[in-house]
Amino acid sequence: MKPLLIAVLVAAPSVALAQYPATPPPAEPLSPARFPPFQQTVLANGLKLVVVENHSQPVLSISLTLPAGSVTDPTGKEGLANMAAQLLTKGAGERSAEQISAAIEGVGGTLAADAGSDFLTINADVLSPQAQLAFDLLADVAVRPNFPAAELELIKTQTLSALQLELSQPVALASRFFLSQVYGTHPYARRPTPASTGAITREDLLAFQRRRLRPGGGLLVIAGDITLARARSLVTSAFRGWTGRAPAAAPFPRVPVRTAPSIVLVHRPGSAQSNIVVGNTTFGPADPQYYAARVANQILGGGPDSRLFLNLREQKGWTYGAYSRLDRPKGVGTFQATAEVRTEVTDSALTELLRQMTNLGFTPLPDSELAGARSALVGSFPLTLETATQVAGAVAQARLLGLPSDYLQKYRTRLSAVTAAQVRAASRVVMQTRTPLIVVVGDASRVYDKLSAIAPVSLFSPDGAPLDPAALTTRTIALDLDLAQLIPARDSFVVTMQGKPMGFQRTELTKSANGFEFREETRIASLMQQTTTVEMAGDASVRTVAQTGKTQGTDTHINISYAEGRVTGDALVSARPEFRQLTIDTMVTSGTLDDNVVQALLPALHWARDASWTLSVFSAGQNATQTMTLAVTGVETVQVPAGTFEVYRAQMTGGPATIYFMITTEAPHRLVKVSLVGVPLEFLLAR
Amino acid sequence: MLTRCICVALLFVTTRVAAQDPGKVPVETYTLDNGLTVILSESHAAQIVSVNVWYAVGSRDEIPQHTGFAHLFEHMMFQGSAHVKRAEHLQLIERAGGGLNGSTETDRTSYFETLPSNRLNLGLWLEADRMRSLAVTDSNFTNQREAVKEERRLRVENRPYGAAIFEGPQDLFDPESCFPYSHSVIGSMDDLNAAGTEDLKAFFDQHYVPNRATLVVTGDFSPANARALIEQYFGDIPRGSKAAPVACSQPFNTGARRKKLHDPNASLPAVLLMYRTPAEDHPDVPALTLIGILLGQRESSRLNQRLVRETRAAVSAQAVPGIFGPRRGPNFFLAYAIASQGVHPDSLEALLTGELARLVEGNITDEEVAKARNAYRASVIHSRQTTMDLAEVLQYANLFLGTSEAINTDFARYMAVSRNDLIRVAKTYFRPDNSLTIVVTPPPAQPDGATP
Repeated sequence: MKPLLIAVLVAAPSVALAQYPATPPPAEPLSPARFPPFQQTVLANGLKLVVVENHSQPVLSISLTLPAGSVTDPTGKEGLANMAAQLLTKGAGERSAEQISAAIEGVGGTLAADAGSDFLTINADVLSPQAQLAFDLLADVAVRPNFPAAELELIKTQTLSALQLELSQPVALASRFFLSQVYGTHPYARRPTPASTGAITREDLLAFQRRRLRPGGGLLVIAGDITLARARSLVTSAFRGWTGRAPAAAPFPRVPVRTAPSIVLVHRPGSAQSNIVVGNTTFGPADPQYYAARVANQILGGGPDSRLFLNLREQKGWTYGAYSRLDRPKGVGTFQATAEVRTEVTDSALTELLRQMTNLGFTPLPDSELAGARSALVGSFPLTLETATQVAGAVAQARLLGLPSDYLQKYRTRLSAVTAAQVRAASRVVMQTRTPLIVVVGDASRVYDKLSAIAPVSLFSPDGAPLDPAALTTRTIALDLDLAQLIPARDSFVVTMQGKPMGFQRTELTKSANGFEFREETRIASLMQQTTTVEMAGDASVRTVAQTGKTQGTDTHINISYAEGRVTGDALVSARPEFRQLTIDTMVTSGTLDDNVVQALLPALHWARDASWTLSVFSAGQNATQTMTLAVTGVETVQVPAGTFEVYRAQMTGGPATIYFMITTEAPHRLVKVSLVGVPLEFLLAR
Repeated sequence: MLTRCICVALLFVTTRVAAQDPGKVPVETYTLDNGLTVILSESHAAQIVSVNVWYAVGSRDEIPQHTGFAHLFEHMMFQGSAHVKRAEHLQLIERAGGGLNGSTETDRTSYFETLPSNRLNLGLWLEADRMRSLAVTDSNFTNQREAVKEERRLRVENRPYGAAIFEGPQDLFDPESCFPYSHSVIGSMDDLNAAGTEDLKAFFDQHYVPNRATLVVTGDFSPANARALIEQYFGDIPRGSKAAPVACSQPFNTGARRKKLHDPNASLPAVLLMYRTPAEDHPDVPALTLIGILLGQRESSRLNQRLVRETRAAVSAQAVPGIFGPRRGPNFFLAYAIASQGVHPDSLEALLTGELARLVEGNITDEEVAKARNAYRASVIHSRQTTMDLAEVLQYANLFLGTSEAINTDFARYMAVSRNDLIRVAKTYFRPDNSLTIVVTPPPAQPDGATP
């Protein structure tokens, strides 16, 4: 072996090559860039025109924005602006919906309209040789929409379905509750409901179009392979005769003033995660503190280099992502910090979010963090302006929000000048950490108590109806049991694996002084053995479960009791490939069954050919309640060692595996066979 | 009206050859001594540069008991290397004003940075440092395994139809004859729990080597400077072993498969119909792409017209070939619909299969073929607008079509597809015995007045 020094010398290349650097290479000089050029003019009908020329690709993107967003929706007709926008392309001028989509998509283009809170926007994207077609279609849909009755009916059906779908989407739910609570009576709180959707008529849509879809105050932005002269001539001829200006919208009411923290908890039973939103309203778009607030937001939760991400994801591993943002509409905006976290850590994550927000406003800010956030925002600005469409979008946003004319040109300089003191001050303004609104969408039965310790909680169902917290602990899935069918009995099953006998299960149901007791003992070759004792009250509700066993040589156990709407105890269970020690302390609804009692209670169900039941089942092994479905899928004859029986075949789904139970059609119902889908294991009644 | 129509038609005819084909992309490809493929494409439209590395490794390269490794590495790759501390990669890029991400598919893993053009050196150096010296440590592994589990909860367990979309399609392929495509990209949490850091290290050493990687640089840079930096940063990373062959001998047309899924997150039933399709370089792929467009993409597509608009059986209906990305092995074509309220999944399934049957019966018009071609043309042009997208297209051409130059030739294959090609291809693949049907059912509705 050579001495190290010689080895290094021998290995070194004889020609001097540039060394591999051990530290990040420094920035090279960058020639200063101005904001990409654009041209603007105002047409005779009051429509502002902005053109961003770029001939590198044969593409053209046109965007017409009018001050006709959902803030103009009449009370009781929430959703009108958006429905109108969706219907603009569903029949206009001489063209039907099919003809419009066939025309634009036939040339590989897109045409779509959408309404947000402040504005309604119609976008057309085409290859530049189709500019004429794009303007013809755009003018038709903006000026001559027909709102056909059949299309209105269809869009209503679709909107109702979408509202229904939203109830199952935690992110959408969290946002909906946040906006409605934080804005109160301000129009930004308005959201369509099934009732307001149903109330919208064709006359409403026509009136909306006549009043609101006017060129005055509107903005037409054209980006791509076109000149200003050609754009002007296309626009002038396409929109000939379109005049007027929408009446000014009523001034917005003030946003509610918050005086205390509060939590809105949206109950989503069985949710694996909690979606958390923490925030408040901020200020108008031209507020001078915007730049410092942007930097503050960047430091807190603007991206993967921010405190929330580094803390909640990288350090704690609680979430896939945690971010914050400043929304900047034409009126008063919002600050929101969001995280989607495991149910178990909901309260810890919320506390941490609040702590991080408070720290930013009240503790010193390291220079390196300030410099990092500023350079991130300044450096990323040009990266958002790569295509003509992006440039046009930035210009349009500045114009629509009424920002100063030099806003885009000065944006980077102003960000660069933000100081640490300004960041702290701005963060105290945009993060109201003493009075935040907190929205949590998750399984309230598992998080209600812990959240109540942080701030007062009001509980809602996803459709917006207030829920009584007592509902979390009352019977939600009432299982109708025929207790007379719970007769003391002993059964013995042979357990087969791929058809070969490998073990047994013995069960025994007895009446006790206070109710029932169910005992079972299972042994499957050397794989596992267990003994379970379940104590039940007189109404067959579970009191305690005690289980001891051995799985692949390791001792396992479950010791839990059910009382006052909670299940508590501990368990050591096999969670392949390892074993898991669990401390169990969870809210359960009183109709909840323990997974170990399902088998014992089967005879007490009201069996019939088309019977089905929804069961709420707590599994200590998973430390979770699952909603399962048990449904009779047929009647058949089975042969088992104990004899031949006519049985109901019932399928249980919703748990980790689908299970089939075969139970005699004749009362007293006796379990005859159990099989699992995907596992070659069967339990056959032996005697 | 007539006059206007003729004008539009004339304009269409006279300009389409000249202006509508995607322009030629400049491409310069070479290979370092250690086998690293480098593709450069210069454009000075904006002061932006993209650095993009594809490793030719995805979930298809995983062996039983090690599923989920490729995707786990997408996380591990941001955990630091010899000269980059944990989370510093994100920090350096972010503070330079850049953007970054990674993505894992069955056939490749992609990492990219988009930066102001004076920071090309930073993007290249960060990619080189993790290629040469990724920190595969116990603590990084444990930490990122938790992040992956969280991602799985987010994407699969907590999202309507998540399980059907992410963990349904692999049932088209059997573990015995086609393990590479019979497991999901996110993999098994049991496998990740059971894995040791040594297993991960072995996976890294086997796959994350220069000879299995391709580096693409697009945008505002000087090629001479880029070449010198690439040689300096990547040149001395040792070559690794050759890729092990990936076997999938699964035959097509082996019988219809069905699966029922109960989805506690869903509020409406859905039907997903999948058909096995060939690898990306197969001559039938352009036709399958165009069928996807005319059958199930956008407003005027058949599925939207028939299922959503005419019969109102569905709230949405789409068709997508290769939804999880292109493959060098068998892929699948997905057509799916989410039922309108009150529509039974059986009726929805009948409508959906009916639309596939119409294609097989040859019921396709020339207008539809022209529309699909135009839509494809526009999508190709739009896919080159940003340096990052262009880099991904160059990587695609290189890995799946065999050469980066294909970016300038592949388009013609799609324009040459005829109506008869579409019918023949529909007949070949859209056979019941080549399909998997997944029916997703929501939980039973709560009776009125019941507490949810």
